[in-house]
Amino acid sequence: MKNVAVAIKLAWRETRGSWRQFLFFFVCIAIGVGAVVGVGLFAANVEQVILGDARGLLGGDLEIRLSRLLSESGHSVLKSLRNRNIALTHVSELVAMASTEGNSEAKNPQPGSTQLVELKVVGEGYPLYGRVEVQPPKALSSHLTLPQSRCERSPCFGAVVQKSFLISLDVDLGSHIKIGQARFVITGVLLKEPDRVASAFSLGPRVIISRQALVATELVKPGSRIRERYLLRVPASMSLGPLKGELRGRLAKEGVRVSSYRDAQPRIRRFLDQLSTYLGLIGLTALFVGGIGVACTVQGFIKQKLTTIAILKTLGAGAGLIVGMYLLQSLLMGAIGSLVGAGLGVSLQIVLPVLLQGLLPLPLTPQLFLHPLLKGVALGIGTTALFTLWPLLTIRTIPPALVFRRDVEQAPLGHPPMSLFRRLKTDLSRLLRDSRRVGTGLVMGGGLAGLAMWQARSITLGLLFMAAFLTALILLWVAAMLLLHFLTKVSRPRSFVVRQAIGNVQHPGNFTAGMAVSIGVGVMVIVAIALIKTSLLLAIGERIPEDAPAFFFIDIQPDQKVDFERVVQEETRSPTYTLTPVIRSRLASLNGQPIDPEEHKGKRNGWYFTREYVLTALPDLPKDNTIVKGHWWTEGPKGGQALQEEASTPILVSVEVEAARNLGLDIGSTLEFDIQGATLAAKVESTRQVDWSSFSTNFFMILSPGSFQGAPFTYIATANVDPEEEVPLQRALVKVLPNVTAIKVGDILENVARLLRQLSWAIQGIALLCIAGGAVVMTTALSTTRYRRLYEASILKALGGTRRIIVKAFALEFAMVGTLAGVIGVGLASALSWAILYFFLDLPWAFQPGVLGWGLVLTVLLAITVGFLSTFRILGEPPLAVLRQE
Amino acid sequence: MISVQNLGMQLRAGSHLVTILDGITFEVPEKQVVAIVGPSGSGKSTLLGLMAGLDKPTAGTIQLNGFDITALTETQLAHFRREYIGYIFQSFHLIPTLTALENVALPLDLSGEPSAANRAEELLAAVGLQDRQHHYPVQLSGGEQQRVAVARAFACRPRILLADEPTGNLDSGTGQIVIDLLLKLNQDHGSTLVLVTHDSNLAERAGRMITMRDGRLVSDGEIPR
Ligand SMILES: Nc1ncnc2c1ncn2[C@@H]1O[C@H](COP(=O)(O)OP(=O)(O)O)[C@@H](O)[C@H]1O
Ligand SMILES: [Mg+2]
Repeated sequence: MKNVAVAIKLAWRETRGSWRQFLFFFVCIAIGVGAVVGVGLFAANVEQVILGDARGLLGGDLEIRLSRLLSESGHSVLKSLRNRNIALTHVSELVAMASTEGNSEAKNPQPGSTQLVELKVVGEGYPLYGRVEVQPPKALSSHLTLPQSRCERSPCFGAVVQKSFLISLDVDLGSHIKIGQARFVITGVLLKEPDRVASAFSLGPRVIISRQALVATELVKPGSRIRERYLLRVPASMSLGPLKGELRGRLAKEGVRVSSYRDAQPRIRRFLDQLSTYLGLIGLTALFVGGIGVACTVQGFIKQKLTTIAILKTLGAGAGLIVGMYLLQSLLMGAIGSLVGAGLGVSLQIVLPVLLQGLLPLPLTPQLFLHPLLKGVALGIGTTALFTLWPLLTIRTIPPALVFRRDVEQAPLGHPPMSLFRRLKTDLSRLLRDSRRVGTGLVMGGGLAGLAMWQARSITLGLLFMAAFLTALILLWVAAMLLLHFLTKVSRPRSFVVRQAIGNVQHPGNFTAGMAVSIGVGVMVIVAIALIKTSLLLAIGERIPEDAPAFFFIDIQPDQKVDFERVVQEETRSPTYTLTPVIRSRLASLNGQPIDPEEHKGKRNGWYFTREYVLTALPDLPKDNTIVKGHWWTEGPKGGQALQEEASTPILVSVEVEAARNLGLDIGSTLEFDIQGATLAAKVESTRQVDWSSFSTNFFMILSPGSFQGAPFTYIATANVDPEEEVPLQRALVKVLPNVTAIKVGDILENVARLLRQLSWAIQGIALLCIAGGAVVMTTALSTTRYRRLYEASILKALGGTRRIIVKAFALEFAMVGTLAGVIGVGLASALSWAILYFFLDLPWAFQPGVLGWGLVLTVLLAITVGFLSTFRILGEPPLAVLRQE
Repeated sequence: MISVQNLGMQLRAGSHLVTILDGITFEVPEKQVVAIVGPSGSGKSTLLGLMAGLDKPTAGTIQLNGFDITALTETQLAHFRREYIGYIFQSFHLIPTLTALENVALPLDLSGEPSAANRAEELLAAVGLQDRQHHYPVQLSGGEQQRVAVARAFACRPRILLADEPTGNLDSGTGQIVIDLLLKLNQDHGSTLVLVTHDSNLAERAGRMITMRDGRLVSDGEIPR
């Protein structure tokens, strides 16, 4: 107890005199804590603002979702709910084309401009939870229905649209648009929609219309793509579980998904969760890099305090007391740094939402939360403590005799000549024999892993992170050691500048390895992200073959096929198009076993059981498809005879090989599809390999020709047209076939690429803090060698050395550090990005000399810049002041 | 030929100015050996350092061989030192990361002398350290380090040699060896030697003695042989 008091008193006195030296210590910790707190606050805000209201997000307590129209009996089930005091509203979502065609009142009418939109049709009572915000502020329903007086020459319906819609069609409030067969007045701008969150990726701007208007558009035809949602508000007294089960049972025939707000895990939430986890880990990397800086400062500090420590020991202070004193001092510094960092993190709140703009469904108004702040400060202090322990251990071995025998800090490469391997071995065995060092190492590793787990909120992820961090550290360290060893081997260079630079790099007190490691870690993170981003963009770009279609057209009715072909032939010079009949279905049973979607939910391959299958019926094997097992209809022993027998043979199906594997299907297996309530049975005739990267329409399931007899199928089409024919074709089609939706392949890919770029910007923004941390560590390390550099520079000047020579030697030294950090950082980034691409994204790693080269060059420049910023003051000092001291 | 005119040096210590040198004026003809003596803190080291251009005086001028070194830029000064001046410090000031040979060769390397290593070897031999060439400063005794420093000071055949208490950190026997070497090499090279010392024996071996007290010159005279 008394010891602690003494330690505190001594710590205070020590700090009083030397807090200036600890400036970098603060900054190291502050940057890392800033990153962690910034990300933490961001996550808390997202959680609060966007995801806090789970009911609003789902749109109700319960959601019934289906991808076709509800049958009569289904409707009566829902109607019966009203008697139980359950409120119900109906929402439909579909993709459609909007156009300005026939519109004389537009601000700047582009005759017949078209725009793909995400149409939302709302019924009475919508929204049950949350609020739809529209400008001008009026109730949504009054925006959507117009007074009858306005329904004579002008449209009968109102539409509320997103701002981007106004911009892309160059229209304004009050303009007229056409969707399907119906005409609309734009009555409002949509500001906030509670149950639409995934705006990060969308096919087009949102347009909201009323249910009566949908009927007028005539968009809904048999087989057209639509998402029907029935939202329920249940009285608080009623429990949701039984109701959910009941509805599943009663609506079993309808192919519905029923979910409650509690189990709804919207994709956006998972996405944002993961994003904040990864950003958080990058922030932690910045903090740990700062920890390396802390270790360097403390080590340099102790070196300066050797005599003080020796004197304290001669006066009878135990090693424990001295360690305690410096530990306390470090914790104090770490706490101050953490608090500064928390402030930095708060100001990051201004930057992060800007970087993530467009990825977020709503504009964030940053709020402060206590928890991320406390967590950040705790992580900062924890990191400080753990990284301080190791250098503080040396205090034990400082002999009191130092008081009269000045230890030679300059001991030049004091090791007797020894092979690298032997040296590593002796070092290692010495280390392992020192039980306290081993113990401290374990405490440090365990503690840091603990912090990582806490930050990642996952044991596995925390351990994975720690393993990656340690691997990177060890590789960087070993590489730095190898380089230093190699430099001792080369014969002493004749050039003074080179010799001086190498001498400095090798100097034991120079922290060369520490500097290279800290910068290298940051370089690794940033370059890895850049590599992954470019690989992904490349993959998107490369996967579009030359002959990829410009358009996909969906929802072409069987009786519109002729019109479609006519329009394409009229509007294009050399039309290349395909028309494929499709029908949407779900699996009803496999080999006679009915499929229960609940059973497969959340399972690894559950998707294959529960997904919607788009079926087609084709006579010929599509190109880019190869048969793996079995026979295509036209080949095989019967050579197409099978098809001629018509009614006597069952419908045959060719299944994509991965789907077959996951579903456990083999040749001869039987499956049943649920097509809008009707069942279609088929027998597996073959399995196929599909090249998904080709941009033709590919299918998991292909049925034998003629299977669609009487079923509500539609056509999808692809068309290859010259760029200048794209717009006219789109306009002509909207005019003739207003229900057909045209999707431009280029737009979608651009959307994906934009998303990717933005995401990588956001991540790189945080990763930049790792680099900043590395730079500060370098400054820190250099500041601990300040006196030695000043001394040597003074001698050199006294002997007639010019400032230029000293500058050159420093530049070369910093360039060596930068090269070391850059080469290893870039190398590790390659390994890391390869691992992520290969294991998580299933994409090949592409060698990108540009990214790697830039990474290396910028690292070297960074090291030189930081080096000079940290040492330039030395250059101007007059030598006498240093040298006259005897 | 060294000409010091009205030299003054003031330094800021905390809030007030301290006068370290005040109105120093003297001349040293070529090839003369001068000893500067005076109590500790009287400004001897500062005077010598200013004569080598290691700092700028706050008043007065210093001319070496006709050049006013107080008017030179930092780079010009560096070149000037290389060419004309050798300097020996009380605490040796060898570069710890360089071997004895490299330390001696350093000024030659700086002037781009191609045969630096040969000349350095010769000089090390002249101070009796031929078999210590590849030793680092820490592996040498104080006397040996100062011999290396002496050899280094003569590397570029300077016309002017400045030595600040070269024996101050050495015992008298070792000091004697260093002084003998210094004077012998000085004779061989025919340089002008300005020597700060406490040691009256050593001072008497010079031809002239300047005495300082509190930053002022108090006496200056030939030493009768
Ligand atoms: N940087 C400085 N700041 C303040 N005072 C200084 C500084 N350098 C030297 N002095 C003072 O100048 C005086 C002369 O110092 P110095 O030239 O080393 O004397 P000597 O070599 O004769 O012992 C001393 O009193 C010393 O304290
Ligand atoms: Mg002195």
